[in-house]
Amino acid sequence: MTLPPPSSPSPIEGEGIFRFDKARFDVCRYLCYLTAIAAACAVGNAARLAQADEPQLKPIAAGTPAPAFIKDVRPLLAKYCFECHQGEKAKGGLALDAFRDERAALGRQPVWEKVLDQLDTGMMPPDGKPQPTDDERALVMRWIESRVLKIDCSKADPGRVTIRRLNKAEYNNTIRDLLGVDVKPADDFPSDDVGYGFDHIGDVLSMPPVLLERYLTAAERIVDAAILTPDPERAPVRTGKGKNLGSVGDADFEMDFPRTGDYALRVRAFADQAGPEPARMSLRLDGLDLQTVDVTAADGVSATYEIVLNVPVGKHRFAARFLNDYYKPDDPDPKNRDRNLHVERLEIQGPIGLLPDQLPASHTRLITCRPLPEADPADCARAVLRPFATRAFRRPATDDEVERLTRLVASAMREGDSFERGVQVAVEAVLVSPHFLFRIELDPEPLNPQAIRTINDFELATRLSYFLWSSLPDDELLGLAQAGTLRQEGHLAAQVRRMLQDPKSGALVDNFAVQWLHLGNLKTVSPDRKQFPGFDAALRGAMENETRMFFAAIIREDRSLFELLDSDFTFLNERLAKHYGIAGVQGDEFRRVTLATPERGGLLGQASILTVTSNPTRTSPVKRGKWILENLLNASPPPPPPNVPELKDASDKQLEGTLRQRMEQHRENPACAVCHTQMDAIGFGLENYDPIGAWRSKEGNLDIDASGTLPGGASFKSPAELKTILKAREPEFRRCVAEKLLTYALGRGLEYYDKCTVDTIVKNVAGNQDRFSALVLEIVNSDAFQKRRGKRGDEL
Amino acid sequence: MDRRTALRGLGTAIALPLLDSMVPRAALAAGAGEAARTPLRMAFLYVPNGIHMQDWTPAEEGENYVLPSTLEPLAAFKNDMCVLTGLTQKKAFANGDGGGDHARALASFLTGTQARKTSGADIRAGVSADQVAATEIGRYTRFPSLELGCEAGQQSGNCDSGYSCAYSSNISWKGESTPMAKEVNPKSAFDRLFTNGRPGESAEGRAKRERYNQSVLDFVRDDARALRDKLGVTDQRKLDEYLTAVRELETRIAKAAQTSADEAVAGFARPAGIPKDYDAHIRLMEDLMVLAFQGDVTRISTMVIANEGSNRSYPFIEVPEGHHDLSHHGNDAKKHEKIKKINRFHVTQFGHLLERLKGIKEGEGTLLDNCMIVYGSGIGDGNRHNHDDLPILLAGRGAGTIKPGRHIKYASGTPLNNLFLSMLDRLGVRRESLGDSTGRVAGLDG
Repeated sequence: MTLPPPSSPSPIEGEGIFRFDKARFDVCRYLCYLTAIAAACAVGNAARLAQADEPQLKPIAAGTPAPAFIKDVRPLLAKYCFECHQGEKAKGGLALDAFRDERAALGRQPVWEKVLDQLDTGMMPPDGKPQPTDDERALVMRWIESRVLKIDCSKADPGRVTIRRLNKAEYNNTIRDLLGVDVKPADDFPSDDVGYGFDHIGDVLSMPPVLLERYLTAAERIVDAAILTPDPERAPVRTGKGKNLGSVGDADFEMDFPRTGDYALRVRAFADQAGPEPARMSLRLDGLDLQTVDVTAADGVSATYEIVLNVPVGKHRFAARFLNDYYKPDDPDPKNRDRNLHVERLEIQGPIGLLPDQLPASHTRLITCRPLPEADPADCARAVLRPFATRAFRRPATDDEVERLTRLVASAMREGDSFERGVQVAVEAVLVSPHFLFRIELDPEPLNPQAIRTINDFELATRLSYFLWSSLPDDELLGLAQAGTLRQEGHLAAQVRRMLQDPKSGALVDNFAVQWLHLGNLKTVSPDRKQFPGFDAALRGAMENETRMFFAAIIREDRSLFELLDSDFTFLNERLAKHYGIAGVQGDEFRRVTLATPERGGLLGQASILTVTSNPTRTSPVKRGKWILENLLNASPPPPPPNVPELKDASDKQLEGTLRQRMEQHRENPACAVCHTQMDAIGFGLENYDPIGAWRSKEGNLDIDASGTLPGGASFKSPAELKTILKAREPEFRRCVAEKLLTYALGRGLEYYDKCTVDTIVKNVAGNQDRFSALVLEIVNSDAFQKRRGKRGDEL
Repeated sequence: MDRRTALRGLGTAIALPLLDSMVPRAALAAGAGEAARTPLRMAFLYVPNGIHMQDWTPAEEGENYVLPSTLEPLAAFKNDMCVLTGLTQKKAFANGDGGGDHARALASFLTGTQARKTSGADIRAGVSADQVAATEIGRYTRFPSLELGCEAGQQSGNCDSGYSCAYSSNISWKGESTPMAKEVNPKSAFDRLFTNGRPGESAEGRAKRERYNQSVLDFVRDDARALRDKLGVTDQRKLDEYLTAVRELETRIAKAAQTSADEAVAGFARPAGIPKDYDAHIRLMEDLMVLAFQGDVTRISTMVIANEGSNRSYPFIEVPEGHHDLSHHGNDAKKHEKIKKINRFHVTQFGHLLERLKGIKEGEGTLLDNCMIVYGSGIGDGNRHNHDDLPILLAGRGAGTIKPGRHIKYASGTPLNNLFLSMLDRLGVRRESLGDSTGRVAGLDG
């Protein structure tokens, strides 16, 4: 859920206007703030978006000399900042007085980036403190930009990625591809926290104890599913539901016995004891009494009653029968009135002591060797575990690792367990090891920021496979890494193309697209049932499916990124086609549909996006506008100011009309208008789509007005025309997609020094018809992806 | 047979047969000093987006106060709780950091520290009050603490004005940069707390499996230690988190051998998953907390009823709008009514927890008597995003150290952390200060 600016919902529905409270607001300071907003959220504003190739840094007028630190900048810091940011007790731990000369500042870019941000948004100096003039503020900002954050692209900084724990999706995929069992153990793991819009950022992924517990239990589950063992106690168990038996009767469970063999048949039960004898229970198979037992367990605590039996293959019914009901309601002792049998559950375990004739592929792929009875099992253990650990750790397993794993097998066998059980334990250890759970890139000099190195082929193969597949490298990638030929001429590009064509690249849709576009929120939106009775699970699912299939088509067919904004095709089933008013699509199956009119082409015509950017009871032009700015145009509006002024009581004139008219009345207040005129304009262009993305020409009795003028003068009359305007903003859109995908590929937030990387990427992508594969290749070939460096002291 | 009896034990409802035997056994494990006493428990329940304070704050101080309408669902527990007003979480204010009151409200609620404004690179809040306690008294129980929630963290986008989603979905922080992920699925929480054995596993089989688990942990600890030495600082922090987790897991495995899971959950239906209805979900999570307290599986718990800034809608109580959108009510009376409905709904669910706790006998009194349960929000009024005069309830007698049944008014601006410090005292966890605390709150014991 993205929070809209706190002020946004009020102006839309509110019945008052903003009260400008002088007591709480320093007018001058607030206007500064609004100026900053205007600069940032003005689509088409010359200051930002016309300079699309350089949106990271504001343009510096040619010929203006950079301010000098000692002479120009430091005195201003002393005047406005030192009061709080000085010495050992400096607020926020930021002592600006420590920067005695420019050189001191040059080594601390992240600090100055934050200072720049604070100045830019007017957050600092805070309310109630002396404020710099606009010129003074601009001067300090110019110094930071031109001197401290100056970047020399010939000495590009590749940055550094913190070791990354596998997130839930990566864990599931990795287990699937490593062991060949699709048990999705991570579905029950706690959510991974999100940073920079994605849930796989190394710095954000922590390892609380609950998660390690889950890894251990998951590992037990996984080895059970992947490897079969002949040990009696490890034989598979199936359970049937229990039943409270208040009178003579059965709790039963029918099961298809996979083969003839010994099975343990068990009942977990307790009884309410009453009358002269204990409760009696008959264990039965196919109606035959196998054994009758006294159930002495009582007081809510069950005991286990078991019989072991050779059962032929096929369906059989196992039952527990209550034999001796007793009911005497007038007994003076209330505890002695009613005898009942409580069957908690039935269990069937087996076949015991046998490996099945048909071993699953997951088993045979891993257990490639079984020790002969008199041979040393260590040789086989090594033969099994070395290749396994190598694939799991995504680099050659070391001799030491293989030996330690082999010892785990040996110690299980010393306990009397089978070789297979021993391998299970060793595999568990691999699956809980930090070498598996984290993606590790070891640096020879982890603390030297000058030590830039090209990552090795195994690390590159791993980055590639987690980028495109959210999973580990397959044998082909690992083979190239092993041979050291992954970077040979043409190999990398060929691998990227192969990987994008592989069905596993669906991970880019599942993880990149779903998060980038906020599609995940579709699962939790709840449009008002009264207004939208037609919004049900089927429609919700169809909406998501359309966007997923559309995005997948862009990847597989290697289309231009700009088709995301506008395209002549989409994917529909009957339900969604009806929702869109498109005729001729029948049945639940999705199929490709060519669009004759412009309403539905591209992401902005898709109900999924239009729904996740709406409120439950109405559209939200603010959210839609903000979504487009943030996710398509790389122009996030700044966060709303602190202490948003309160609205007046509802005694003011009642606002009337369509949502749009009400909003416009609201923005008669200049305090709101400065930012919202610009942010909302885009959203108005989509007012023809209702809160669940259906087309509408009226809201109530009033006509929808989907026209608008963007700052800078471009105007539109319909969603289609808005789309045309957005498409024309090529550099912003291209850069936006590139930054999102680069963030996703690296698993870290982008920093000022990534500007050179992004510049190169967008330039080359533009020269390749903006094809999706071109963007991926450019990212893969970039320094940020291919290299890393040691940590800087000021990076936390 | 008596049909009512037949409903007991199985089915959807959780019927708790009284298992007095569980407490002494666990308490014995707690060590000499702890064994004699019944343990004191502490929990924090959080609701987002503030409260309609006009119908929350009692007009009168002291014992003879009238429950305002929002608190009416708690009428049966009026003498089991205190309404605390005037408390403030100063660190939730912008203090120069700009927008993001929702993220800060939750991140500071139990920490009393200013959350660092970042999308991810260097997340930092502080150690939360529950974790301060868990670090010290967690060793007496199988789980040092239990983190529950009823809403999963957001899976994409930005959560609040440049703050990582870690801040607005986590209340409990083990370390400055280690939020304690919360359990949202009651089935997973139940399995984690109470299911040690595999179906059909014998006692020897289980003991052997736990020996193997121990070998696995030995193996991975060696890996982690060797690896740690080769890494840079940030990466080392990740490995430190890992090593701490290994250590806690070992303790837990050792403790698991002392308790029988079957006994602890007799008559308790294993939850099937997340219930479809929100109220059923909240209640089920509360039931699990009660069960964990009752069996002394843990003594410390938190529960985030909805993430801070949650825009969940409540159509089942005629509130189809999103909670966050509504909370910016602009003093619209219609919106106030709807916010009150949501407040009342949450409070009603809290009543369920109190009812359960009160229904369980423990020693001379009830389980609730041996609890300190805080219910509240880190935002006062949702429209203003203020973090002073917070809505806070404190239920339970704190094992005889708290005199409930009162409305206690603190001087405006009293740090919320002063209350937490006073609660830690009662747990025997002595701290000079906690976050931004300036001292302790007076008068809890009457």
